[in-house]
Amino acid sequence: MGGAIAITGMGILCAIGNDRKAVLDALLKKESGIGPMRYLRSIHTDIPVGEIKLSTEQMKQMLGLEGEGPFSRTSLMGALAVREALQQAGIRDVSQKRVALISGTTVGVMDVTEQYFERMKTEPELQYLPHSNECGRSTEEIAQYSGLGNARCCTICTACSSALNAMMLGAEMLKNDEVDLVVAGGSEPLSRYHLNGFNTLMILDRERCRPFDETRAGLNLGEGAAFVVLEKDAPNTQAYISGYANRCDAFHQTATSQDGEGAFLAMTEALRKAGLKPGDIQYINAHGTGTPDNDASESAAFKRVFGDSLPDMSSTKSYTGHTTSAAGSVEAVICLLAMQNDFIPASLGWSHPIPGGVIPTQGRTGVQLDYVMCNSFGFGGNDSCLILSRACPAPQERTLAEESRIRVEARSVVSSDEQLPALKEYLSPMDTRRMGKILKASLLSAFTVLKDAGLQKPDAIIAATSRGMFELSTLFLEDICNNQETLLKPTLFMQSTHNTVASAIAIRTGCHGYNITYSQGDESSYWAVADAKRLLRLGEARHVLVCAFDEELQDGRTSAFQAETTLYTID
Amino acid sequence: MEQLVEDIKLQIIDALNLEDMTPDQIDNDAPLFGEGLGLDSIDALELIVILDKCYGIKLKSPAEGKEVFKSVNCIAEYVQQHRTK
Repeated sequence: MGGAIAITGMGILCAIGNDRKAVLDALLKKESGIGPMRYLRSIHTDIPVGEIKLSTEQMKQMLGLEGEGPFSRTSLMGALAVREALQQAGIRDVSQKRVALISGTTVGVMDVTEQYFERMKTEPELQYLPHSNECGRSTEEIAQYSGLGNARCCTICTACSSALNAMMLGAEMLKNDEVDLVVAGGSEPLSRYHLNGFNTLMILDRERCRPFDETRAGLNLGEGAAFVVLEKDAPNTQAYISGYANRCDAFHQTATSQDGEGAFLAMTEALRKAGLKPGDIQYINAHGTGTPDNDASESAAFKRVFGDSLPDMSSTKSYTGHTTSAAGSVEAVICLLAMQNDFIPASLGWSHPIPGGVIPTQGRTGVQLDYVMCNSFGFGGNDSCLILSRACPAPQERTLAEESRIRVEARSVVSSDEQLPALKEYLSPMDTRRMGKILKASLLSAFTVLKDAGLQKPDAIIAATSRGMFELSTLFLEDICNNQETLLKPTLFMQSTHNTVASAIAIRTGCHGYNITYSQGDESSYWAVADAKRLLRLGEARHVLVCAFDEELQDGRTSAFQAETTLYTID
Repeated sequence: MEQLVEDIKLQIIDALNLEDMTPDQIDNDAPLFGEGLGLDSIDALELIVILDKCYGIKLKSPAEGKEVFKSVNCIAEYVQQHRTK
């Protein structure tokens, strides 16, 4: 048990390059990859984006794939990044190994769905296409395209912190000897769907983003994929994962708390796990999206953790755009490149300090980086932090309690319309007015379980879903089609991400603990329960709430649904 | 003006899914955000869509909406002055 988690390979594609070398060159030359749209088809051509400079066809050719497809950019970019990572790690044959491929994505194969959405309703030959939101499918395709056909696939959907959570899960599985080799990261393409979604939230800058600048006016979306190969005590080591944490802001689905509570908790816990003091960190790759909200909240959290001695800090989203679910691994790989090449990446676009705020670095070279911190925060307050180290971290005691000590303390299933009015006992009509049936059902089953167990809040919340917020996301797709990408409803988008349920439970119970959402088809619940047991056996939690939910649609509206919440407790 | 106030209330009820509410339950001068009706940042974005869709008024940011969305009367006054349709 235990053992140091080594990163033995890494692969990356983003707006500033299609491999490690190109990305490194752009970082050193301080060249941003954000510019006008070329491959994404949208009427919003005034919105700058960070596109990968490859067409879907080119990526297909690079991977030697045949056939008409359709091919999702998520899967193609992901496979290219995985291939580069495996090559660096010198891994050719994985047939004798227990391998896990863990990917973070939230857009999933939506880039394909949105191209065919209208036609899929009437053309039976297109019915085989993923209708929407099946994130797990992209991970299976990545495995298939990159020669990892025998890997166990797992997809994490915690919006913009997905890829960091994927790396953390990989580290935990290795420490527990559940696998021999992990390939973890994330992949997210640009889509009309989330470009329009972020546009309804009015957080897209029409200029290049300016993280931590007083004049910042929002983010630029980017696309990207990055994966790392993780092994235990490996000889060919690039760096080590020494600390990490996943915490929840539990404040609002799309807004951040003013004091940055979730970010503060994630950073302090990651430092504690790494056995480090704030002063040991030499560089922070901030989440730094460039939105007024994020940068203010993250600044507040920095001040709480580091006081007046903030280490060099930058947001590399000024180069890549915000690669959303892939941001965690894209930026972790950027941190690794910085560590290997002794430099600190500059924050581009910054010129006006926020009064009383933090100041990002303009970059430095010739610095040996021993400890680096990487932040990724997502919708729903899914906040994660990862610490990388040059040297092998000191071995830590790791004991797992017997699995037989875990018991199901309470369980509740909500699957009919007749049950839903009972939610009034817990939430006001004002609080539930935007919610679709699946969110109402999930919350009701969660509240019922907590009430039965006599518990105010759990220590951790884990969700499992195959299709996520299927109705809401379909309604938003309809909205995009019917209204030609204009005057769309933010209400539909803000609760369309898969992590809506887990974060809604956290917000309503005030649970700042571990919070994650798994989406891997029929195996989603398996991953969720396995993770709950991991937390309980490690002593990281005493009570873990696991909520499995899914819905069926007819004519675009919920026709059947089921939410099953289980409270697992360790004695 | 009275008709405009009534229209705006109905548009708010519809866009913000205030299903159980009627226009007379919304006080013309009561704050819409915080302690009054208790709307949040997403509602503010929906109000921006209403102004654009129904009255041809384009607000650039939620910050710009802060003064306008203080109460239903504030919205009505702003609409009367700035509407393009």
